[in-house]
Amino acid sequence: MSERIALEVPAKLSALSTVRMVLGGLGERLDFSLEDLDDLFLATDRLLQAALDAEELDHLRVDMVCGDGELQVAAGSFTSAGLRAQVAVTPGGCIDLCTLLRRLLDEVSLEEHDGSFTVVMLKRGSGNRE
Amino acid sequence: MSGRDDRRVNDPLDLKAPPGQARAFSAEDEDGGIASAGPSADPEGRGRDDSEKLDQYLLRRYHLHGDRQAREQLITMYLPLVRSLARRYASRGEHFDDLVQVGAIGLIKAIDRFDLSRGVELTTYATPNIVGEIKRYFRDKGWSVRVPRGLQELNIRLNKVIDELVPKLQRSPTIKELAEAASATPEEVLEALETSQAYNSVSLQASLNGESGEEDAGLIDYLGSEEEAYDTMEDRTTLAPGFAKLDKRERYILHLRFFEGLTQSQIAERVGISQMHVSRLIRRSLEKLREEIGDLDGSQAGRFPGADDR
Repeated sequence: MSERIALEVPAKLSALSTVRMVLGGLGERLDFSLEDLDDLFLATDRLLQAALDAEELDHLRVDMVCGDGELQVAAGSFTSAGLRAQVAVTPGGCIDLCTLLRRLLDEVSLEEHDGSFTVVMLKRGSGNRE
Repeated sequence: MSGRDDRRVNDPLDLKAPPGQARAFSAEDEDGGIASAGPSADPEGRGRDDSEKLDQYLLRRYHLHGDRQAREQLITMYLPLVRSLARRYASRGEHFDDLVQVGAIGLIKAIDRFDLSRGVELTTYATPNIVGEIKRYFRDKGWSVRVPRGLQELNIRLNKVIDELVPKLQRSPTIKELAEAASATPEEVLEALETSQAYNSVSLQASLNGESGEEDAGLIDYLGSEEEAYDTMEDRTTLAPGFAKLDKRERYILHLRFFEGLTQSQIAERVGISQMHVSRLIRRSLEKLREEIGDLDGSQAGRFPGADDR
């Protein structure tokens, strides 16, 4: 049975600590390994940092869904075309945001909503990876 | 003993030094700590007495007569000891020169607080003072924000526990396993891990980022049998935008993580450092990369030339 947590924090770097703590608590309940959590922390940090760099935001909205051995994290809504490109496209052979997210997570996708978008990231615990 | 009388005292401070003051106390002789700087390095074993006499003489000059030059000479004389002790801690990520400066404060405190009536050698008294000052520096300066001592200690304990559990479990431990092994709650573990973000990771990479040959040699030691693979990677990354700001180990670790697909534990084993250290180095390297290439076109960001041809 899935559990949904919605978190809204001020749009500043220091607030990422709060996001990590909530993610950590959920990951702990899912028996995520330390490395699973570290990957998730890093991916979330990099995405939200990029969002803060790309857009004038008042708040960061992060929705988390705790499923069966996996944690889905959705961050948005964003409107920056630059951020969208960073998340969606990689020219290959680069450690850019797109590559980072795909290396650190099991799934990454963009959900579009009338000109804005949400980045949806999925991390499975290493014991639950296909 | 005949050679002793032949020595000429070179006393720039014009102190009336006792006989036997040896050239071994020269300020230039700083390569091996007090052992080689002082007479204890004398192969004939004659130096120790000389050392004690000179120390006591200078200490007396300073404490009984307020001779500041004697104090300065003591400081100069014992700087090799400071360097020797600082070198032991240089691999922990702080700049060696910073550690020497901090250690020198411990030395000065030891000289100032030295009690002539106690009859101990200055080396004996100064060593714990110097080490204590260096340790205090790590404790206080190693954290970019103030973190409660309990959490710092739990974090240190977790580093050890992780190093023990990874080979035992053959995988990265869960938070529950860490909590159990560290005699803490999962919440405390998470909090300690979060506070580790506050640790000054800037300094972590510095241990192998220095300019001395000794530190470079340490890097080679870390790389071990992977040197050949490292060289191949190096050819590519030296041309990558932003990567010039990373040191060799940082480039190597990023390559292993993001292009070879190794886990942190696998990298830790290969490079010979802890998994936590790998985690911090990855974060720091990515941050440096981000800062460096911030103004570059995204398509060039942190590009490994040829990496997509693999």
